[in-house]
Amino acid sequence: MPKRLTAYLLAGILGVAIGAFSALAMSGLLPTERRTGGPVELNGWYGDLTTGSAGASPWVRARIARHGLLALANSEAIYFTRTRDDSGRPFTEDCRYRITGQSIPARWWSVTLYNDRNFLPDNRDNALSYDASRADDGTWSAIVAAEAPANRRDWISSRAGGAFDLTLRLYVPADGVLDDPEGMIAGPSVERLSCDEGSA
Amino acid sequence: MKNWIGPVIAGAVLALVTHAVVVIAAPGFIMDRAMSVLKKRGSPLHDFGLSPRMTAETQTVVRPSPDLAYSLCRFDLDQAEQGLRVRMAAYDNYSSISFFDSNTNNFLTLRGEGQAREAILLPPGAARTAGPPGGLPEAVVAPNATGVILIRRLAPTQQAYDTVAEIAPGDLCQPL
Repeated sequence: MPKRLTAYLLAGILGVAIGAFSALAMSGLLPTERRTGGPVELNGWYGDLTTGSAGASPWVRARIARHGLLALANSEAIYFTRTRDDSGRPFTEDCRYRITGQSIPARWWSVTLYNDRNFLPDNRDNALSYDASRADDGTWSAIVAAEAPANRRDWISSRAGGAFDLTLRLYVPADGVLDDPEGMIAGPSVERLSCDEGSA
Repeated sequence: MKNWIGPVIAGAVLALVTHAVVVIAAPGFIMDRAMSVLKKRGSPLHDFGLSPRMTAETQTVVRPSPDLAYSLCRFDLDQAEQGLRVRMAAYDNYSSISFFDSNTNNFLTLRGEGQAREAILLPPGAARTAGPPGGLPEAVVAPNATGVILIRRLAPTQQAYDTVAEIAPGDLCQPL
């Protein structure tokens, strides 16, 4: 009998551990998992159009609560996050990047830089994002770097951003975007230009 | 081998139950912590407070947009048993007002479109009714008693934020 009781006890402990770990992993709640993401990919930008909606799965809801609390439903805003440059290397504040995009089908859009804890980086550069108000119609471009370029207007500061990511927000997406995001949104490219010595 | 069938089944059932409990409870747990932080930082109950421009120093929840001006009202319908009257003052640029319950459900969002928007928020279980005569808003029933109401206004510059600061006193989050 004690042997059988021990077997139940071990199986129970193992079951709870597996259940808890799998829940945290599938919901993006592990300490090492820190990004939003999703099944929709736009040139390296990932998003989930069910974010903030009643149709979101319990796993998506848990992930968004952790990484994007108080996100809006997709009729109002959609979100895409990118963690790597065009060559597939993770973003780091030790490198300079050029982000280039085309016209984005939404009433307003922005690209914002966040650190590895999902917060704005601790700097006072007043250059935390780039938004539609600074982009002319058609192609636009900005520099993502820890130091300001010659034209500060087109700068997203990565100072103190560490292993940062970029989030693209589209507010009031245009008609058809929710049905065919890949066909209607050209995800901005992010080219790595240079890196500090020893960090490439 | 036969002796292991019972423990294996018990372990599998516990794994499934634990998985479900963690996934379902996580949003509420995270929201509860966030609301505690908001309260500690002075976010008012049943009143809108305009947050300062979003920077590393002023952010209270994850992934704020530095291009938006946020006004937030915490609600607790156990302390406002008749419900709340909520209004977002008119703003010329993009604005929206979103209602979130304590499980992070975004159960109502209204867009400004340059106009003031109003809603009556009723406690869970209340009968949903049409708004009073005179064009006043339709009522919405909250899924649970606590949560937050968040106004977002596009304000990518200090000048735009200053404009928001001028009109934000017209926002309302008041027990009926």
